[in-house]
Amino acid sequence: MSVVGIEAMNVFGGTARIGVIELMDHRGLDTKRADNLLMVERSVALPQEDPISFAVNAAKPLIDALSPAERDRIELLITCSESGIDFGKSMSTYVHHYLGLNRNCRLFELKQACYSGTAGFQMAVNFILSQTSPGAKALVIATDIARAVLPEGVELSMLRNSEWGYAEPSSGAGAVALLVSDTPRVFQVDVGANGYYGYEVMDTCRPVPDGDVGDSDLSLMSYLDCCENAYLEYAKRVDGADYASTFQYLVFHTPFGGMVKGAHRTLMRKLSKADRQSIENDFNTRVMPGLDYCQRVGNIMGATVFLSLASTIDRGDYSSARRLGCFSYGSGCCSEFFSGVVQPASQQLLAQQRIDDGLNQRVLLNVEEYDQLMIANRPVRFGVRDLTLDPHGDRYIGAMAKPRPLLYLSQVAGFHRKYEWVA
Amino acid sequence: MAEVKSWDEVYAIVLKHVRDVLPELQSHAFQPSDSLRELGANSIDRADIVMEVMETLSLDIPRVELLGPRCIGELVDLIHAKLGNA
Repeated sequence: MSVVGIEAMNVFGGTARIGVIELMDHRGLDTKRADNLLMVERSVALPQEDPISFAVNAAKPLIDALSPAERDRIELLITCSESGIDFGKSMSTYVHHYLGLNRNCRLFELKQACYSGTAGFQMAVNFILSQTSPGAKALVIATDIARAVLPEGVELSMLRNSEWGYAEPSSGAGAVALLVSDTPRVFQVDVGANGYYGYEVMDTCRPVPDGDVGDSDLSLMSYLDCCENAYLEYAKRVDGADYASTFQYLVFHTPFGGMVKGAHRTLMRKLSKADRQSIENDFNTRVMPGLDYCQRVGNIMGATVFLSLASTIDRGDYSSARRLGCFSYGSGCCSEFFSGVVQPASQQLLAQQRIDDGLNQRVLLNVEEYDQLMIANRPVRFGVRDLTLDPHGDRYIGAMAKPRPLLYLSQVAGFHRKYEWVA
Repeated sequence: MAEVKSWDEVYAIVLKHVRDVLPELQSHAFQPSDSLRELGANSIDRADIVMEVMETLSLDIPRVELLGPRCIGELVDLIHAKLGNA
């Protein structure tokens, strides 16, 4: 018994978005060479949205599609995030409540920057493989937001031409939910085909509750070092693995598209000695399908590699079964290269989630509206004790064409969060 | 195995790859004190330059060890030292 993988998956990219080039212009950043960053839009979290609402909204359609008997077999629920709302209580407890899951279920959260989703996924895969509870399912939800908040004492005008928020154009908000089981209809894992690689490095981190700190050059170099070494370890364990021919598609953790293009070029030069033009063609064929959703949502940290996986499945050609190679990287750092197989029927199944439509339904903000949200987001800072919000009267939530009710934060009372469904 | 090169040889190799990655600098009169960032190279461009230099010199070390230089001259100093010329 060694069949395991993703039975169903879904992406939730939030309620609002903004154009990245427009935002860079607004901040006085140089956009002359912005084309090679390969960024288009990013999701913007509203005050009524947090990593819990994102997680529930991503997972709800998967749960609704299960029979009550199947739903009761979810025995493991892991939230994967660097955007937690409490040092002790895990977000999985809220998610479990709003999804109405069986109480005989393990609930916890884990973190390792952008590697968290892969860490959770691999733990779920091994839970299923262990067969300690035959027929059980696991729900893994990677959920992260970079909330745009104007710090106290800072004026909006001070953000122009400043070093503030080097990651502002690339940071998104969103969640990806994975139902992991022994019926992997969407993505069947190649069991044991994993190369992992990690070490201590101070590239990017969140040392304070609401702020990222980072060295973009160091992070890029570390990402490239890991990309190469995680794959080399994979190749050591998988007989006959060849970077250029074993995988019909390559899925990358995508902080922004340009970084992935650089990583792919580096590996192709190094591992297959390919020339510039054939590398460019290979990038367009094997990598670009996975960038579409990432270019529209932005970096959603722990969830990004699975956002790219969903994009690869929705945008690729699956006239026959394809093997996908996936690279996950989380600053600090830990990384992994793993692979799996997607069938023609997998693409049809994922298409039912209409992820593309969901991203198009997000309300497009202009820069003034975005700046005002940075002020509106101030009260939703980490550690807020009491707060009342009105998701029903919000202009952006009201303006979004919702195909199904979505969950929003309505109240924090004595630190306890309460959410409401908005149709 | 990396070959031992003089400082000037390393400098010439670095400039060649800077011009490859940033063709608009073809006729720029480079100084060791020039900063790649100020010349318009973004982080991807800088990583590309470092990768191509490492490849030309068969220098096989973690990329993170080549961080820190603030100008082209300092980058050449560091690579020159990594080649065993320290």
